Amino acid sequence: MNLGNEPPSLDWHATTDSTSFDVIANIMVGLTSYGDDLAIEPCLASSWDILDGGSRYVFHLRDDIYWSDGKPVTAFDFQDSWRRLVDPATGASYAYMLYDVENGLKINNGEIGDPSMLGAHALDERTFEVRLAKPVAYFLSLTAVAPTFPVRRDVIEKHGDRWTEPENIVTNGPFLLDAWQHEYKIELKANPRFFSGAPELSRVKMFMVPEQSTAFLLYENNELDYVDNRSFSTSDVERYARSPEYRNFPLLRCSYIAFNVQKAPFTDARVRRAFAMAIDKTVFPRILRRRERPLTSWIPEGLTGYAPDSGPPFDPAAAGRLLDQAGFKDRSKFPRVELLYPNREDAKLVVESVQAQLKANLGVSIELTNQEWKVYLARRKKDPTPLFRGAWGADYPDPETFMNLFTSVNGNNHTRWHNKLYDSLVSRAAGEQDEKRRAELYRRADRLLCRQEAPLIPAYLATQNVMVKPWAGGITFNALDVQYFRNAYVRAPGAKGGAN
Amino acid sequence: MLVLVFKRILTAIPVLWIVASLTFVLVRVVPGGPFDDERNLPKEIIANLEAKYHLDRPVSEQYVLYLERLCRGDLGVSYKYVNRTVNDILADAFPVSCKLGLLGLALAVVAGVPLGALAAVRRGTFLDYLSMFTSTAGISVPTFVIGALLIYVFGIWLKVLPVALWETPYHMVLPAVTLAFGPTAYLARLTRASVLETLEKDWVRTARTKGLSGFATIVKHVLRNALVPVVTVLGPLAAILVTGSFVVEYIYAIPGMGRFFITAVMNRDYDLIMGTTLLFAILLIFTNMLVDITYQILDPRMRVEG
Repeated sequence: MNLGNEPPSLDWHATTDSTSFDVIANIMVGLTSYGDDLAIEPCLASSWDILDGGSRYVFHLRDDIYWSDGKPVTAFDFQDSWRRLVDPATGASYAYMLYDVENGLKINNGEIGDPSMLGAHALDERTFEVRLAKPVAYFLSLTAVAPTFPVRRDVIEKHGDRWTEPENIVTNGPFLLDAWQHEYKIELKANPRFFSGAPELSRVKMFMVPEQSTAFLLYENNELDYVDNRSFSTSDVERYARSPEYRNFPLLRCSYIAFNVQKAPFTDARVRRAFAMAIDKTVFPRILRRRERPLTSWIPEGLTGYAPDSGPPFDPAAAGRLLDQAGFKDRSKFPRVELLYPNREDAKLVVESVQAQLKANLGVSIELTNQEWKVYLARRKKDPTPLFRGAWGADYPDPETFMNLFTSVNGNNHTRWHNKLYDSLVSRAAGEQDEKRRAELYRRADRLLCRQEAPLIPAYLATQNVMVKPWAGGITFNALDVQYFRNAYVRAPGAKGGAN
Repeated sequence: MLVLVFKRILTAIPVLWIVASLTFVLVRVVPGGPFDDERNLPKEIIANLEAKYHLDRPVSEQYVLYLERLCRGDLGVSYKYVNRTVNDILADAFPVSCKLGLLGLALAVVAGVPLGALAAVRRGTFLDYLSMFTSTAGISVPTFVIGALLIYVFGIWLKVLPVALWETPYHMVLPAVTLAFGPTAYLARLTRASVLETLEKDWVRTARTKGLSGFATIVKHVLRNALVPVVTVLGPLAAILVTGSFVVEYIYAIPGMGRFFITAVMNRDYDLIMGTTLLFAILLIFTNMLVDITYQILDPRMRVEG
């Protein structure tokens, strides 16, 4: 397969990069794991108890789980890992995943100096207890993602920064890190000691071919058995769309156009709603041509609280009337506002379409401003333009990861839109244990966000496009864009006993 | 000659200091920082990260720390590749680029110089036009087009060479040829112009009238003098080639260091940007020194200065 780029790190506390997680997900496992439909399944923990109204979790570990050096995986390895994750000295980006655990935030921001005060303790070798600061409905989802996987403290202490090199690293997953030629190739080999049995593939080769067309040529030349978006140009998607080797599925990654609600004329919710109703989302898949899914609500399909009608319908006539009411009957009086986007081809196509649609459907002209990636990010953070493009990918499969984004306290909410009702709905939903009531709370919040207040216009859901050779199969993909080779196989004619 | 080497090393120190300082300032002037991403990190986490890399200190203090580390030969750490130091990264990537670059350079010299000399001697003939047409094409066609063309012809159509990757010596052929294409063309044009100029010189006519054969005149008298400008450009050319080409490494998936000139800047990976820039500066100084030494061998008059 092709990773596209060098994984920035294989330390599951240090990295945030999806390339790293593609490797880590195959060499490590945690307390729980995701099933095909992203449901939580037991993994290293065979069972767990949810106590005290959802604020205390007790995990019971299996007794046949081992590290690659033969030592058993114990609850103490989890305790070490979680402490290391919140320890400010680690500088972990994903430390916030444990902010809901007792003292998690305070340890990470330095208010409490001792990481052992974290509300996560090994009661004995097989029992791991977690105390939460408040009940959190999505907590189990966090135990299936890489930053919460156990670590071997002794290994990290012994080798320092080099503990992730193949000769030092100690892991517990279905594959072992066999070789790592930086910027070029990672080789995994089957772990004979894996608790549910060694995987069928004896070897997985992960190349780092940055250029899409080169990677695709390697696939066509049978040198790669499997490729995804990273190796797949849009024209190749179209060329192979009918091939039995081709597959497409949506990811939990939403793109949107947002307003800075502190800048005129978007201080007026009617103007924002008018814009939201003047954009036909079904256009985006047609111009992006990777079978993206139009997005009419902020919670995407497949997650609790999803309702396609949360956002307003496409209705240019009603949008025009709203804009009239807001005092812009004479469209030439509408200020020329700026829409900021990064210099990526997909973003460019989307904002150009938004510009054209606003002109055609509302008679409003907007200006497009293109910036280099980091400059765009810095600008959006410091002084957002009246309109800007954004995207958000889920860390874990729960509406919380999307809905929290637009709360007043979230550092990624660049719209400067603050709404007390929205904040309270989202915060209540996060702690709600009853799935039905929780869905209802999120639906209300989503409607408030997309239909009534409209600080953003959801645009589309990105997709993953993959090609798998006829002789290979069993690769599991999920909407979080992680790929598992645990059940993968390669059969004749290319039977090499390994996959590229 | 030893004096020259010694002098060059002494002057290199202030040059490197200026390069290091300029880069240090420039990377910090550009908007956006190493930890900016689509998802903004909580301010607590940014603070932890900045503390870890000393980016929370005043810039003047960072500068002093940086120079101190440089003096110890420590180029710092990568913010993007968290478990690796810049020294590690360059130690892995430079040998690959160097190998490919030297191969490319050798190809360019072996093909470019004779091609140019031949064109000059056979000036105005079909051979001249052919070689100049080829070299104009070599200069004007971008590397990625040549690369794609070579991959298509030799990898896909004839299936005699691998499409990409870095496994066996065969894998080096297409990237080396792609890399050598532009420099070959450049050297050919330069050699032709220089040989033409030299051919007009009085002493060439003298050599001829004294009865020296055409071939001997060309090789012994004309080429030797005509090569001075060629050698001059070989210095910077060598430095550029051995530090890798972004395009060639990108299209052939070669784990060299050329990509860091681009990606390190995109990632605002400060120490890596400074590390690659410094390595390039060192190589440039070194190859220019080699050029000066070659001058002295080619033209004894240049030895006076010592």
